[in-house]
Amino acid sequence: MFELTDRPIDSTALQARLTAPEAGALTVFEGRVRNHHLGQPVTKLEYEAFDDLARLEGEAIVSEAERIYAGAKVLCVHRTGPLQIGEAAVWIGVASAHRQTGFAACRHVIEELKLRLPVWKKEHHPGGAAEWVNCTAEAAARTGANEMFARQAALPEVGAAGQQKLAAARVLVVGVGGLGCPAALYLAGAGIGHLTLVDGSKVEHSNLHRQILFTTAEVGAPKALAAAARLRLHNPAARITSHEGEFTPQNARALVAGQDVVLDCTDNFTSRFLLHDTCLALGVPLVQAAVHRFEGTLDVFRQGAGGCLHCQWLGRTPGDLDLAGNCAGGPVFGPAVGVLGVMQAAETIKLLLGHEGDAPRQTRLVNLLDGSQLIIERSARPDCPVCSRLDQLKAAKPTTVTDTSLFLNAAGVTALGATAQTIYLTEPGEAAPGGRSAVAALDLARLRELAAAGPLVLTCRYGVRSAALARLLRGEGTTNVFTLTQA
Amino acid sequence: MSSSRQINVRFFAILREQAGASTLMVNSTVPDPAALYAELQGRHPGLTFPATLLRVAVNERYVAMTTPLAAGDRVVFIPPVAGG
Repeated sequence: MFELTDRPIDSTALQARLTAPEAGALTVFEGRVRNHHLGQPVTKLEYEAFDDLARLEGEAIVSEAERIYAGAKVLCVHRTGPLQIGEAAVWIGVASAHRQTGFAACRHVIEELKLRLPVWKKEHHPGGAAEWVNCTAEAAARTGANEMFARQAALPEVGAAGQQKLAAARVLVVGVGGLGCPAALYLAGAGIGHLTLVDGSKVEHSNLHRQILFTTAEVGAPKALAAAARLRLHNPAARITSHEGEFTPQNARALVAGQDVVLDCTDNFTSRFLLHDTCLALGVPLVQAAVHRFEGTLDVFRQGAGGCLHCQWLGRTPGDLDLAGNCAGGPVFGPAVGVLGVMQAAETIKLLLGHEGDAPRQTRLVNLLDGSQLIIERSARPDCPVCSRLDQLKAAKPTTVTDTSLFLNAAGVTALGATAQTIYLTEPGEAAPGGRSAVAALDLARLRELAAAGPLVLTCRYGVRSAALARLLRGEGTTNVFTLTQA
Repeated sequence: MSSSRQINVRFFAILREQAGASTLMVNSTVPDPAALYAELQGRHPGLTFPATLLRVAVNERYVAMTTPLAAGDRVVFIPPVAGG
């Protein structure tokens, strides 16, 4: 809950409103009027709010914090009017089960308030002089915006002009996981002006060894939202937009249009091809990386240079490739996605500055186990049905199957009735757990037979291969095939 | 069919795990990467990954599986990788 008040803040009374038997932690932040600002003495402050908008925005910030930090109950009060030195101007209290959530939610609310709340303060200096403190200037002053990039702008390849290009750039990061986290962190650190993050999933404990934007406090939080908040802490001057949801044929063009560079940090070929085709059609450079255990691949794709993703995989469908390249990717070496994600950030910055060199004509294979790196030269295949028909691609409507009815939970499976079969897909050498009915994932013929007999629900160890196969079968026209959602 | 010559093979990711080696020196008469992969599957029974889902690079360039091979060629088989 968010409130504005023109009366003194009573911390004891506010704390009493957050009493709850299940709350093991009460975290309180109180922002007070201090007697100096940017080296100047201050005698008193005056706060003026754009009342209705401030209430709406304050409420939005509080509910966002409660969504990121599940179970946290947040109360926030902001003062308006004249305040004396030492008086509380803002009060934030968070009741939560555990301290991590409390501290993180409290921090989130105050940082977002400082950036977003339409409340202005007028500082009174000794001798009667007074000035309104501009919020943006304050954000810049707090981080030393220019100084933050000083060591980077000192590079001859960057310079003041290059730094301005980065500040004017728009970059889209699709997938905020093992690759997207380090990539986005370095892009925010480099001073990219506007970053958009796309991810529909939530933070899990098993993500934390590699998804470095998140801590234990964010487990359960929507990744796009939690990552955006974390990046704003890193660079408050950057505009960070979060899109909570998957990258789909329906939103692909709207998300990619107007971007200067797009990063593919997804984990499946269906998304990779959709993203690639959209970028190719709209002429937006794409920096793509993928990781298997200790190894990764990096590609920069740009219209008209070095061929396209289809040139590499001519005749193979995203569905085929997901079957082969995915579930086996369950185990992952954290530094491998870290290195590849940071390489994506490096290629992005180089593209924006015009220093991309030969990267748009190469695949880079990186192996962190033996330390080797191999560069493969790419070129356009004259028989590629996509590169050679770019005009058609530009006009085409995406056709990838991303029907959400594909995904069922346990209740959904029960609702299918007694004739429905649930099948566990095994990888080579893998046994199905607990005596479940299993089919080898590459045995498409058997799966088609089963789907013909009745409703078919697919599951597997990580849920990726089963989703890929269900999409593949749907794409063939089989309507009664589903995949079981994890947990 | 050409006469026997030495070809250097390199595997990545799941192929390396299946073959149990990251590099191999092969003496073979095979005409192209497709035939080479089939021959390697014969020598390494663990190498079950379907050839239809591979990319191949010869001398650090992507090529078709039917591109003729020459003595001393460096052949890299690359499986699909999508993890992120």
